[in-house]
Amino acid sequence: MSNETATLSQTGDTRKAARIKRETVSTVAIAIICVVLLYLSRFISPALGSWSQVETVLILGSFLVVVAFGQGLVILTGGLDLSIPALITLGGVLSTTAVGAGNPDAWFLLPAALLACGFVGFLSAVGVVWLRVPPFIMTMAMSIIVASAALGITKGTPRGYAPDAAVALMKSHILGLPSPIVFVIGFVFLGWLLQERSPLGRYLYAIGTNAEASRIAGVPVTAMQIFPYVISAMCAGFAGFMLVGYSSGATLRMGDDYLLPSIAAVVIGGSSILGGQGSFLGTVGGAFLLTILGTIISAIGLEFGLRTIIEGTIILIALLLLREELFNRIRSIRRKA
Amino acid sequence: MLKHRLKLAASAMVIAAAAFGATAPAHAQSEDGKYKIYLSLSYSGNAWQSEAANIVKALAATAPYKDSVELIEVISGTDPQAQISAYESMIEDGADGIVSFPISSSALNRTIRRGCDEGVLFFMYDATVTESCAYNVSYLSSGFGENSAQALVNELGGKGKIFLSRGVPGNSVDQRHTDGAMHIFNQYPGIEVVAEYYSYWDDRTTQQETAKALAAHPDVDGIWAQAGEYGAIQALMDAGDRLVPMTGENSAGFRLALADPAMQEKGLRGVSAGSPPAQSGYAFKLMMEILTGKRELEPMNIEYPLPWVPAADVKVCEGDSYENGCNVFPKDRVPSSFVSEVLNPELLPEVNVESALNGTPVEGATIQPLPEDVPEAANLPGINCDDCEAPATLYELTKVEATVQP
Repeated sequence: MSNETATLSQTGDTRKAARIKRETVSTVAIAIICVVLLYLSRFISPALGSWSQVETVLILGSFLVVVAFGQGLVILTGGLDLSIPALITLGGVLSTTAVGAGNPDAWFLLPAALLACGFVGFLSAVGVVWLRVPPFIMTMAMSIIVASAALGITKGTPRGYAPDAAVALMKSHILGLPSPIVFVIGFVFLGWLLQERSPLGRYLYAIGTNAEASRIAGVPVTAMQIFPYVISAMCAGFAGFMLVGYSSGATLRMGDDYLLPSIAAVVIGGSSILGGQGSFLGTVGGAFLLTILGTIISAIGLEFGLRTIIEGTIILIALLLLREELFNRIRSIRRKA
Repeated sequence: MLKHRLKLAASAMVIAAAAFGATAPAHAQSEDGKYKIYLSLSYSGNAWQSEAANIVKALAATAPYKDSVELIEVISGTDPQAQISAYESMIEDGADGIVSFPISSSALNRTIRRGCDEGVLFFMYDATVTESCAYNVSYLSSGFGENSAQALVNELGGKGKIFLSRGVPGNSVDQRHTDGAMHIFNQYPGIEVVAEYYSYWDDRTTQQETAKALAAHPDVDGIWAQAGEYGAIQALMDAGDRLVPMTGENSAGFRLALADPAMQEKGLRGVSAGSPPAQSGYAFKLMMEILTGKRELEPMNIEYPLPWVPAADVKVCEGDSYENGCNVFPKDRVPSSFVSEVLNPELLPEVNVESALNGTPVEGATIQPLPEDVPEAANLPGINCDDCEAPATLYELTKVEATVQP
């Protein structure tokens, strides 16, 4: 009798453990790491760990969250988008030159600028989907073309200044909170709805897992392979618009610091670089983890080289901690217990 | 077997190419009677690099050079290897002169030497090379680091917590500036460097890095910055309504802020100094004077004077050029990242703000001769010379005096 109860409770446990999705575990784990890091940072500098540091992290991380969303969708379908820096620059340059340079009323040019970015993403997708160019070559080529076009058109010095809308987005307060924080909360919610709770998002997961099977199952595979590149390009363009509002102007290298972090945020967030797995909330956690790390590392009074080594090491440890095998082991331990 | 034959054929081709190259005559002017001048940039895409290139383009399109100079621009990226091969091609192509922003102070030396032997003039601007057959035109020896650091110390009364916003890690220019600055800061025990970060001479990176540093040290008293300084002001504004004394380079945004009473009210004081893009124009004009036989000058290190504009001296221009002592263009004329020291009424009277932004010449302008005197730069070992010694006067203050004692 007692033996039988034990068996029963054991199977019960297994089912419960299996019901918790791997993505949920990694998202929660990242959130915990973020909070712990924020708390520990007090020991490095007493001013850290305060609400003002959280504000700084949320504002500085907002750009990365936006680009990482697009990058995440592309990676979900098994691709990779290397054109993000160029598109950030394009978005920034278009918003300063078209609207900021004395056309404050031409607000309609802002969506047009985003559509232009989306069109570049569409071209990348055409190369990847129809011409079968490997995604990283295709997006790299688009990146070079777009960056060179921006250089040629601006002659190196982007004119104009930040459009009023960009300044309002980045520099005002809503309900006592800095507006970019409110924006990023809304953006994360919408992104989560799209990726995790819409049929569209499910199609992307399906394609990333097995494109051929999805096609047979009736998923519009071609359209769904194009979609992430367009969204990623538009997200990058929008991040450029945000950056313009944040720093009151565009520069041609404004996007350069976001390529690798955008990929890193997605991977640290628990997504598979091969596609088909991952969650947007994990990516958001990854983006903020990288940003928190940045603020803490800059407060450590060590030489630059050493600081970068520490930063790399912590990222590596975080990745190892979040590996799938570890979750499986936790599950098996729980099963045994 | 086939592989072996291919290899043989390839090496034969290499030898043939080398032989042709060696026998190509070094000609003074190309077939159509024009001087063939190359403008070799390492990278482009920031305001500084573009303005420096635009000034050269504008000068080459100004009479009489517009009829006698063929200017070819080559951008080779941040990799020294790419610039080496670009130089090689220019030498092969029969260049008369190469005006260049060199990406490395030593990696290009061997190629430059070869070019010199073929009669090519090399003029480096801003960054320098240690090869002695090249002319270096640079402000690097003019003491930006130590002078700006002393100005900041003076503003702070000799004590306070400061940030160092540096340039590109591992870059000799950044190192020279920082060494000069630390030479001063180290003399004042009351000065505490609480954060030091690399901002890549970029406004936006400076803003983000400064924001991070402010999270840990909201009570900072002053900022010593290299280019990108306008980003530091914006980070301070984002964090609260308090500005602090700071020194930085020559962006229009920074100069306009220094002159703005509202910003001064919030605590902004300081001085604008640093790297002038106008060096490229000076280098180009000097080279053309040598090529056209108007001047005789052996290869040397030439010092471009350090721009030095304290807040009280900032004056906003109304026209297209720096007249009546004005030294910054208003916000509706140039972007905040525009580097103000691109014009020089004395050395480059031919060009204006449109030349700097677009590379266009000023209508009706003609090239004016440079002053007779060419100032020699001090030795900076590993930066503009090899096997040389720095002068005893290194880090001597030239623009400012210490008003507070350690």
